[in-house]
Amino acid sequence: MAPRLVVLSLASDFGCQVQLTNMTAELLDVLGLVELSYWQLATSGHMPPDYDVAIVEGAVTTTEHVELLGRVRETAAVVIAIGACANTGGIPGIVGREDLEGRYGAVYGPGPAVATGRRAPLPLDAFIKVDYHVPGCPIDTGEFLRVLSRVLLGLSDRVPDMTMCASCKTNETVCFFDEGRLCLGLVTRAGCGARCTSLGRACTGCRGIAPDANLASAREIAVRAGVPAAAMDDALRIYNALTEVHA
Amino acid sequence: MFFRVIPKSVIPDLVRGLAEQYEVVGPVAKGETFVYAPLADAADLRLDYDTTALPAKRWFFPESEALMRFRVSDNAVVSESLDTAPRVLFGLHPCDVNSLLLMDNVFLGETPDPYYKARRDNTLVVGVSCTPGEYCFCDAWGTDETHWGFDIFLSDIGDDYYASIRSVMGADLVDRYVPCRAITDEDTAAFQRRTAEFKAAFTNGVDTSQLPVLLDAKFDSEIWDKLGEKCLGCGACSMVCPTCYCFDVHDELDADQLGGTRVRTWDSCQFKQFAAVAHGQNFRDTRAARVKYRYYHKQWGYLSKFERVLCVGCGRCTRACKAEINPPRVVRALQTGVVD
Repeated sequence: MAPRLVVLSLASDFGCQVQLTNMTAELLDVLGLVELSYWQLATSGHMPPDYDVAIVEGAVTTTEHVELLGRVRETAAVVIAIGACANTGGIPGIVGREDLEGRYGAVYGPGPAVATGRRAPLPLDAFIKVDYHVPGCPIDTGEFLRVLSRVLLGLSDRVPDMTMCASCKTNETVCFFDEGRLCLGLVTRAGCGARCTSLGRACTGCRGIAPDANLASAREIAVRAGVPAAAMDDALRIYNALTEVHA
Repeated sequence: MFFRVIPKSVIPDLVRGLAEQYEVVGPVAKGETFVYAPLADAADLRLDYDTTALPAKRWFFPESEALMRFRVSDNAVVSESLDTAPRVLFGLHPCDVNSLLLMDNVFLGETPDPYYKARRDNTLVVGVSCTPGEYCFCDAWGTDETHWGFDIFLSDIGDDYYASIRSVMGADLVDRYVPCRAITDEDTAAFQRRTAEFKAAFTNGVDTSQLPVLLDAKFDSEIWDKLGEKCLGCGACSMVCPTCYCFDVHDELDADQLGGTRVRTWDSCQFKQFAAVAHGQNFRDTRAARVKYRYYHKQWGYLSKFERVLCVGCGRCTRACKAEINPPRVVRALQTGVVD
């Protein structure tokens, strides 16, 4: 029996779900392998009570999210976190860990009624065991398909843990630091093929800080290139505000 | 080996002639750097290049290559891909020519690698002399000269090249496509003068005295910890290295999961996953251990098997490593006991 699949979103802009719809060449093949029970962006029904695989986008920012995520984990045999928000807290995570009410107030005015049950944002694995990770903002559809293949074959998660520089070298891209410019590729998890840098844009760290990243050395490198270490830490807040970054 | 004098002015004619039968790959400008790329026009060839971002190895051992297509239902190999396109690599410096010989030891040894061999068998190599750059230290390993591993080697003697012809194919190409003449004693004297100037121009003195002894005697030295503190573990050094040959092989299934491709990609001993084995064990789980391993393998492990170090002094890793870890510095640390 084909695995029953749901796609749902917590706090995010649905960009990764849009990426799934962008898999025009492969989408019909993928849909032939699963029973699509619910897709928040693309189907009109409600979330069914039972399913096998849950693809979850977005960060946890409300108590309702926490409860929903708990139910998802109890129900699904496999949970896949897609996108920066679900994997590192991503953009919602910029609000940080401190003075949540003050920051909501700065945007929505005093005592805002938005986001009932709001809480400091966190990635999925702060609450539940996540079986597979597809990082990035947005996700790369090729990588998503490779992960889905591993899910269907019952292989373990294999998210790359090296940093971006090897990809950049392979692309023969000139290092941004050689030009005195900041790039977060020094510490960011590889796997996207260093696409942004090959298009002339510095890495912004959307795939999260690599587990073995050497932040202390990266800061020294930035300083040698004329970039203040604080600028690197600031840039890391875009996607990695919730990751412990020891100075 | 025999020799011809070829005027520099006819090199574009030679390239155009070769292009009738071969894909001609040579150094071309890419922004502020140079890369080996197929020549769209003979005029794009830049024999005045200093170094290329990636070495020539990718034309024999690409960063990512499909080895075969397979069918899932019965595990059948549907097709194998061997790249047999006739190709000329035009304009390799002595370091890069030498690097191919070191790669050959690995890929063409007891069990030849069919993918590498197919490309090697179908690729001609034309070398060209160079001027030592800021990061070059090929003189440390004797890889500043090359006497085999090429079909033609062009040594700059002013308005002409002093061409060493190493193969029948090289002789055939020179005769067919360009006017050339036999060498005179004056030409050889000019060649010797250029060689002396070249040898005197190196600035990165690397004291390789007793290096294998030092590597073993200083196995537990704190220099490795110091280097490990700096290392980013990024593997940039391996990617740009003309003699790093480690690879990973994995299967990529098609979206319908009915067929797939077996893919080989470059790997690096500097990646933490490189030495990860079953049960979550990792026998080189610190950056210090991985940096040490890299230098042990290149300067001692390979040497003990093939009687050459696995480095040609091209300086690409010096340029690539933002943490400033490079062979001259590591060898200095081994000699002095401190990382400067």
